[in-house]
Amino acid sequence: MRNKIYKSILFICSLLWFISCEKDLPTYLEYKDYSYSSTDENGGTWQPILIDEGAAINIGVPEDISSQSYQAEISAIKASTDEINAPQRKALTYWGNNAVVRWNEIALELIAKYNLIPGPNDDGSYTLPNPSDPNGPPAFPFAHPPYACRALAYLSVAQFDGLISAWHYKYLYNRAAPYQIDGSITYAYEPNDIPSYPSDGAVLARVSKKVLSAMFPLEKEYLQKLEDEHLESLLLSGGNVPSDISAGITIGDEISEIALARAANDGMKNAQAPKVVSDSIKAAAFERFGWQWENLEIPVRPVGLTPLFGKVKMWNVANVENVRPVPPPAIDSDAYLADVSILKDYADNMTEEKRSIANFWQDGLGTYTPPGHWNRFANEFMVEDKMNPLRSARTLAYMNMAIMDSGISCWDAKYYYHYPRPIQTIEGFKTIAGTPNFPSYTSGHSVFSAAASEVLAYIFPEKATLVRGWAEEAAISRVYGGIHWTFDATVGTDQGREVAKFTVDIAKLDGAN
Amino acid sequence: MTGKLLLLLRYKRKTQKDLNILILLLFMVAFAHGQTPTDGLMMPSKNICILLNYEAGHFDRYWEGDDLRRNETIATVNRTTILPMAAVGIFDELNFYIGLPYVKTKSSETNGGRFEGAKGFQDFMVALKYKALERSLGSGRLSLFTTVGYSTPATNYLSDYMPYSLGFGAPEFSLRGITQYQLNNGFYVRGTVAHLWRGYTEAERDYYYNSGSFYTALMDVPNAWTFETVIGKWFMSNTLKLELNYTGLKSTSGDNIRAYNAAQPTNKVKYDRLGVSIQYYSPSLKGLGVVGYYNNVVNGLNTAKMSNVGLGLTYQFNFIKNTNKDQDAQ
Repeated sequence: MRNKIYKSILFICSLLWFISCEKDLPTYLEYKDYSYSSTDENGGTWQPILIDEGAAINIGVPEDISSQSYQAEISAIKASTDEINAPQRKALTYWGNNAVVRWNEIALELIAKYNLIPGPNDDGSYTLPNPSDPNGPPAFPFAHPPYACRALAYLSVAQFDGLISAWHYKYLYNRAAPYQIDGSITYAYEPNDIPSYPSDGAVLARVSKKVLSAMFPLEKEYLQKLEDEHLESLLLSGGNVPSDISAGITIGDEISEIALARAANDGMKNAQAPKVVSDSIKAAAFERFGWQWENLEIPVRPVGLTPLFGKVKMWNVANVENVRPVPPPAIDSDAYLADVSILKDYADNMTEEKRSIANFWQDGLGTYTPPGHWNRFANEFMVEDKMNPLRSARTLAYMNMAIMDSGISCWDAKYYYHYPRPIQTIEGFKTIAGTPNFPSYTSGHSVFSAAASEVLAYIFPEKATLVRGWAEEAAISRVYGGIHWTFDATVGTDQGREVAKFTVDIAKLDGAN
Repeated sequence: MTGKLLLLLRYKRKTQKDLNILILLLFMVAFAHGQTPTDGLMMPSKNICILLNYEAGHFDRYWEGDDLRRNETIATVNRTTILPMAAVGIFDELNFYIGLPYVKTKSSETNGGRFEGAKGFQDFMVALKYKALERSLGSGRLSLFTTVGYSTPATNYLSDYMPYSLGFGAPEFSLRGITQYQLNNGFYVRGTVAHLWRGYTEAERDYYYNSGSFYTALMDVPNAWTFETVIGKWFMSNTLKLELNYTGLKSTSGDNIRAYNAAQPTNKVKYDRLGVSIQYYSPSLKGLGVVGYYNNVVNGLNTAKMSNVGLGLTYQFNFIKNTNKDQDAQ
């Protein structure tokens, strides 16, 4: 009897342990056995985006490995790698040997953290996040999709240019990594033949900290901590000596300054137009087309999201109007009425499949946004292909430029056509997704996703069908969600593909193929 | 190991659907609030009590963290619950419970969000209550009970659709201790403590923010403690029961709702709720009872300031002799 009771107690306890057991849910992309699939010795000759060539940034000639100072560095490395503590070991595992992925994930996390729309004040007014008073409330920034795609583009482009420069000097000076020089040093990761001066990891750490600190000013301390941890890991990995690191930091400092100078004057600071400007944009659309989008929130938001994001400087398209889509169907036209029927039908006959598609791609408030979602896919593909950091940075740079350009084009269409959302024109219509604070045509998700998928299809040709299918699903998901018309999605998909072509054409000629 | 169990739970969730509907049809007859896993009553052996309860809840404010606020995006959220439940007296000291609520949610018109509400069957629940002790003490009787319960989503409802979601969408295992002291004059007090072990719920997105990035569709629904204190009295020859109750719930972990953002199943929830209930057993219609109640969340963290009004019918009968037996052990 006693045995029986004991057994039942044991059963219950183990059941409880299972149900409550601390919860090993993934918080970042884990990888192991990451042997780079290529070293890209000619990477230093690739065409950068912001600078003319890899050699445009100057770093000093490294000390020879036989020099006293280099030998002293090696000895110091050996001493510190002998005393690695548990947090340091954890950091080594976390940072891995492709920090492009990690810093991208950090950016995605900050986007999700700051992607919160400011709520109304007690008197019904709204306060906008203010970069000169980032604490708010509301905190700066509101990392909505336009803000997110821009942050990611600057981060990735600066990383890419910085690494091209690093690769240039790596193969110019050919100073091997400490673990290649001294057999008693064990490399924390899979060995490779890439020279270690300057440290590509340090380039990434410095560039990422600087760009992200500018984009997320309240996170400066957090980002500094991450940079410190990353730089320390580079030394403890056995892959770099301090002079490798400081040369990498020099490149990182210079290239992030160049990137942030472009960002300061790309037009983003004017994107959240004042009410007078916003009203005149709306009136112009009404004059032109006889319709205008209205915000239906309570209390009403006086200005839509970034009405002038369509005027932000593009990366690879000369003039946004060149890629502006055709006008949407007139309200009450046959094409419009057909769409009303489709939307009502979807809403009245919602299936679990449609609902889950709407939710999978929703990437709404509080998440990493659609551009973030596509960065996550890119990270997964890069890890699957075991891309080295330079090639990873290239992937993200081209993808994020295309995403940002497509977003600018989409916003141009949104505020030029100022087309109403379904809830505005269909009486009593309800949605399962949140209706955003900007006009309907074309769908941001559709444009972002189509552009991202085209770059990924170019870089990972074996995945072309897959990613293009995903982009189409992301597009239609907004229709299932009840917040977009079908033509928002289909025209948006075409628009994204067209805009991405400009970027892909440049990528094809950058010397990396 | 954990992954395997999760798979099992999820698999069960899918296959249970048909079974649940069958069970529901069987017990659709009637439902009330008389014998529940949380009260201090026992059904005599070979008796069944069927309860059918209707509850109308609503809130127009909620706690975002500890800040009580309104949000015109959702305006007033209404939540209607129909709960059929059955209590079966296996032995005088051991009762079995089974129930499945149907929930419907929607926002009042006009609201700024224009969100569709949700409806459907929520969580299939079973419980066993055991009377561990009953003895005279002073001028009254002391009883101790323990309840183990298990519930799991009966349908594929989306928990990650707050505040309209039907439930938190995860399996729950509960262990409850109940102490009741009843004076001979009909006054009684009852105290309950329970721990709720809650599993994962599955969202339809595979990334979310919970004080950091999570690259999975699984959301950890925090475990929780609940506490209940009740003061009640029987009137009119034990046919009328009046109760005042306090219920508290406290998650053991979780994150706060972020500013002007939707709640999510990972949130840390706390509340203090006060309520009153009245229950009447008809002497003329043997076995029939009626229960009404009202409760209101007075204090909370990451939860709705919900007010509920409920009305239920109970019907108790002896399933062996096919005759109605008198009141339960009370």
